[in-house]
Amino acid sequence: MHKPPRAHPPLPRNWWLKHRFFIAYMAREATVLPLVFFIVCLLAGTLALSRGPDAWQGWIGFMGSPPVVALNALALVASLYHAWTFFQLFPRVMPLRLGDRSVPASLMVAGQWAGVLAVLLLFVWVFGRA
Amino acid sequence: MTQHHPERRQAYDEPLWWALFSAGGVCFALFVPSAALFLALLLPAGLLPADALSHERASSLLFGLPGLIFVGATICLPLFHAAHRIRHGLFDLTLGSDGTNKWLMYGAAALLSALALGVVLLGMLR
Amino acid sequence: MTTKQISIRRYLPERDDAPFWQPFEVPVDDSTSLLDALHHVKESLDGSLSYRWSCRMAICGSCGVMVNGIPKLGCKTFLRDYDGEIRIEPLAHFPVRRDLVVDMEIFLEHLAAVKPYLIDDAQAQETAETYRQTPQQLARYRQFSNCINCGLCYSACPQFGLNPEFLGPAALTLAHRYNLDSRDRGKAQRMPELNRHDGVWSCTFVGFCSQVCPKHVDPAAAVNQGKVEAAKHTLIALFKG
Repeated sequence: MHKPPRAHPPLPRNWWLKHRFFIAYMAREATVLPLVFFIVCLLAGTLALSRGPDAWQGWIGFMGSPPVVALNALALVASLYHAWTFFQLFPRVMPLRLGDRSVPASLMVAGQWAGVLAVLLLFVWVFGRA
Repeated sequence: MTQHHPERRQAYDEPLWWALFSAGGVCFALFVPSAALFLALLLPAGLLPADALSHERASSLLFGLPGLIFVGATICLPLFHAAHRIRHGLFDLTLGSDGTNKWLMYGAAALLSALALGVVLLGMLR
Repeated sequence: MTTKQISIRRYLPERDDAPFWQPFEVPVDDSTSLLDALHHVKESLDGSLSYRWSCRMAICGSCGVMVNGIPKLGCKTFLRDYDGEIRIEPLAHFPVRRDLVVDMEIFLEHLAAVKPYLIDDAQAQETAETYRQTPQQLARYRQFSNCINCGLCYSACPQFGLNPEFLGPAALTLAHRYNLDSRDRGKAQRMPELNRHDGVWSCTFVGFCSQVCPKHVDPAAAVNQGKVEAAKHTLIALFKG
C-alpha cells in the first residue's frame, strides 16, 4: 500500500524566531517602523512651518520632548542599520562590470558610505551656519 | 498538477513597487541619517546656530526647489520603501491578505506623499 | 573509539501515522561525516532507516537533510563540528515520504517551468555548428551554473515555506543563468514565468538560501538580478503597448 507523502505543516507565525539569521532579517525589515514615526514628525514639521512662526516653535518643542527624542534616536540607529545591510545587498543586485573585471563589492559598499558622508557634509553646510 | 497560465498572471505592477522601494531604500540610507541627526536631535537640543532654522530661513529653504527635493528624498520615497517592507512583513507574519495590504500600504504612502508635496507646493505659491 | 549521539526524525507510514525521534549512538573520529553516521545506523543499528545519497562528495545533491534546523548535505557535514545534540530531520518545506526521504516533485516542476536549457531557434534550423564563447562571456553566468539541484535553498527559504508555488531560489537562478548565457536567445520566453508574483516578486532577499548553498552559487543575487531584468522587461512592454 502506498501512502501519499506526509504534507509539511504550514510555517508557524514565529518561524523567524528559530534562527539568528531570520531574527536579523526581521530586525532589518523592522527598521522601517521608527522610520515611519520620523517621517510623520517631518510631515508635522512641514505643516507647522506653513502655519507660521508660533506653530514652528511648537513643533521644535514637540521634537524636544523625551519620548519623541527617544523614538527618533531609534530611527537614526535604524537608518544606520538599514544602510549597513542595504549597501551590502546593492552590489549583489546590480553588480558593476568595468570591461573585463567586476567592481569588487567592498568598493561599492565604501562608495555608498562615502555618499552618506557627502550628505552629512551638505547638511553641515546648510544647517550648520546661520 | 499545477497549471501554469503565465499570460494571465504577469505581475506588471510589482516592478513599480519594487523600484519605489529601491529608490526609497537609497534615500533612507543616504539622507535619513543626516536628517534625523540634524532635525530630530541637534535642532531640538538647541545645538544648531541661532538662525540656522528660524521660521524665516526654514520657510525659504522648504518652499522652494531644495525643499521639494528634500521632501521627496526624506518623506515620499522612504514612505514607499516603508510601505513595501511592511506589506511584505505582513505576508511573512501571515497577517491579512496581500491584496488588501497592498492597497492599504501603497495607498497610505501615496496619500501622505501627496500631502507632503502639497504643503510644499502651496507654500511655494504663496 | 569515541561515540556521539544523533537523533533522527523517523517516519514509517506503514507502521504509524505520526513521526517520532529515535536516538542512535555512532562511532566517530575526525573524519566522520553525517552520511557515514547514517550508513552506520542503517548497516549496524536499524536497517529500516531510509535516506538518499549517491556521490558522497557534494556534487550529486542527493543527501540534503536538516541538521539542528539548518539545511545541509550529509556528506559535507562533519560530526567533529558538533558538541551537543545533533538532530537530523528531513529537508524542510517538502512533504515527507519516509524518514529522511522527501517528495521533491514541486522542486522539479519549478525547475522545468523556467525552461532551463539553451533556447536558440536559429541554431536549431541550421546544421550543427559549435558555439564560440569567450572567458568573459562565460564569467557572466558561470557562478550560477554551479547549482547541483540539492534543494537546500528551498528548505532555507521562508518564502517557499510560506508559499510552495513560489518558483524558488534554484529555479530562478537557473533561469537567470540561461538569460545571461551569450548562446541563449530565450529570455523573452522565460519572462512570463519570472515576472509573476510567484516568480521573482515573492523574494524578499532574506538571503538564507545563499548562506546554505553548498556550491556558493549565491541564488539570492541571481533572483534579485532577475527582478532588475523583469522590471526592464515590464518597462519595455509598457512602451511597446
